[in-house]
Amino acid sequence: MFFALTDDQREFGTAVTTYLAERFDLEAVRGVVEDPAGDGNPAALWKAAAEQGWLAVTVPEEHDGLGLGLIEAQVIARSLGAGVAPGPWRGTVLAAEAIRLAGSPEQQAAWLPKLASGEAVGAFSLRANRTAVEYAAVADVVVLRDGDGLVLVERGGFSTEPVGSYDGTTRLAAVHAEKGEALPGGAAALAELTARATVLVASDLAGVAREAITRTVAYDREREQFGVPVGSFQAIKHALADLHVGVTMAEHAVLYAAHAVDTGADGADLAVAVAKAKASDAALAATAAMIQYHGGIGYTWEHEAHLFYKRAKRLVGQYGDADAQRERIATLTIG
Amino acid sequence: MDLTYTEAEEEFRRELRTWLGANIPDEWTRPGFWEALGDDESFRVRRDWERDKALAGFAGIEWPTEFGGRGGTPGMKAIYDEETVRAHAPRTVNPLGLAFLAPTVMAIGSDAQKKEIVGPLLRNEVIWCQGFSEPGAGSDLAALATKGVRDGDDFVVNGQKVWTTNAVHGDKIFTMVRTEPGSQRHRGISMLLIDMHQDGVDARPLKQMSGASEFGEVFFDDARVAATDVLGEIGDGWRTAMLLLSFERGASGIGQYTEFRRQYDEIVEVARTLGRDTDPVIRGRLAKVLTELECLRLHAMHVLTQVEQGRDLGFEASMTKLQWSETFQDLWEVHDDVLGEDATLDSLGDLDLRPLHAQAMWSRSVTIWGGSSQVQRTITAERVLGLPR
Repeated sequence: MFFALTDDQREFGTAVTTYLAERFDLEAVRGVVEDPAGDGNPAALWKAAAEQGWLAVTVPEEHDGLGLGLIEAQVIARSLGAGVAPGPWRGTVLAAEAIRLAGSPEQQAAWLPKLASGEAVGAFSLRANRTAVEYAAVADVVVLRDGDGLVLVERGGFSTEPVGSYDGTTRLAAVHAEKGEALPGGAAALAELTARATVLVASDLAGVAREAITRTVAYDREREQFGVPVGSFQAIKHALADLHVGVTMAEHAVLYAAHAVDTGADGADLAVAVAKAKASDAALAATAAMIQYHGGIGYTWEHEAHLFYKRAKRLVGQYGDADAQRERIATLTIG
Repeated sequence: MDLTYTEAEEEFRRELRTWLGANIPDEWTRPGFWEALGDDESFRVRRDWERDKALAGFAGIEWPTEFGGRGGTPGMKAIYDEETVRAHAPRTVNPLGLAFLAPTVMAIGSDAQKKEIVGPLLRNEVIWCQGFSEPGAGSDLAALATKGVRDGDDFVVNGQKVWTTNAVHGDKIFTMVRTEPGSQRHRGISMLLIDMHQDGVDARPLKQMSGASEFGEVFFDDARVAATDVLGEIGDGWRTAMLLLSFERGASGIGQYTEFRRQYDEIVEVARTLGRDTDPVIRGRLAKVLTELECLRLHAMHVLTQVEQGRDLGFEASMTKLQWSETFQDLWEVHDDVLGEDATLDSLGDLDLRPLHAQAMWSRSVTIWGGSSQVQRTITAERVLGLPR
């Protein structure tokens, strides 16, 4: 029995966390948030993602990727979430996953090496109305829902229109595609792609939630009121303890869901729904608590709490919110 | 990730299944069977069955063979926990002795204690009670007032313990007693091993809100115990108790998941019978509990992994307790939600609800005993998150 990450897998997360701490901290994130007209894709961060293999993680080795699984990808996603990092990492990885799972050999050869190296930016959406697509404006290739299947559209074949969002750590756009080429295995791969996308979002949420608690605990150890640290008050202790348990469970659930999808395990559907439901609830609770247990400063623009809260608010709705996941769980276990 | 067991562990599973299959009568699996039997008869049947199981080699799974254990792996213990639940094996009659006393004796007991306590405990020749809580010392265990006064080679013990599991069936009790006159809080306490079959010890059943009496009270009125019948050093009982409680970290999450998941399925079945399984509110509540149950299963695999890697889980045991106990309680709240306005009735048509009510009532106790949820949250906040005391 080994229910844990290996050292090599853990290393991906450490690399992302270390890079963000040293080169793209919350001040840099704020720079992106406060420049809504910018493309939200800082060049240095993208270069690091390419050089350090964060983009190549699930691309097969024959297409110049690392040939690893969703489990390694979710490690990266979690660290990016913890850093509330901007940039089209997830869209690029998921576009590559769509092409890997559903593309023709020609499509794979044309796009996977470029997506793995960061030469091309990808965007991915399963929404029928093709709006609020993450980083579509900077994408070289978008993979979109087309009826029951998927269509791949190159830059030049689509136009975008910015969609504003109070989550300033990302950039969204509506996509209008004139033409495009079908991914031949699109319909067959839809369920697995949905599962993979859902796990990566859940993992980002788990990262957001963990960091929200860590920062709140650090603050409440120091902040004094009534002559003592506010973290010594039982009302705050018990709330943070429950959040810690909830986030730990969300981390377990995401880790298992990634493994279940990678191995095609029985019950992978249930595992994904459990992970997204739990991570969504944990992230909303933890980021709301981050505001509350910082007191007034937590409600200011100047403080970082709102970056976490707003990112969580956007991501909990992606690929089905907690209630939608619970209905899925009910269908799977009750009928 | 590798969520499989080794071949040796799977072989153990097959052997255990075979034995359980041959040794559990069908009627034992019937809902309400044990409740209908009555406390005393149920205890006797379970005591004998568990002895036979030990003699067949299915006890002390992960204990060293020198103590009469099987010398198995942590994975085998997890399999044991899972399979015994699956087979509807009866609950152990020696839970505190097996989970807490035996590992503590193996760790710090004298050679004589190792010999005299562990083997007989494994074979249910001696039923052990735990004497910790008192009327004035619940969550605040260090407030305990039961006194032991030295008299020659003995201690003479006076006081009262409460919430004592299996009190009326107990043979011996490992007891926290204040043996230094005037000592305060954690100091001056000894872990005495007291024979319950003496005039100075009176064990009485405590009728619980469920109507059952798993717990009892134990009164010490000039009870005598040899000063050598102490576990750890005289006056060092607090340290012994902390070591003893630390063995809870091996708690059987996989067995608990297996049991609670079966109960979830039973509740779903009740919902179907009543046509409540299509109600979106009920479905959402059931799914929320199922989510927490799945998290419990994964957490159990995490704990097992840490144990196999030889890592000390330390205060993470508090998280384990919170996750299983709060989830178990939520599960039975959903059961009542399913029944709606009929939640308190003894039966609905052919459906006897009383065994289900017994579980629902029991669920109210699990967030209190073994360290209340409030105590676990404080421990988690202070010892894991590092918030100031």
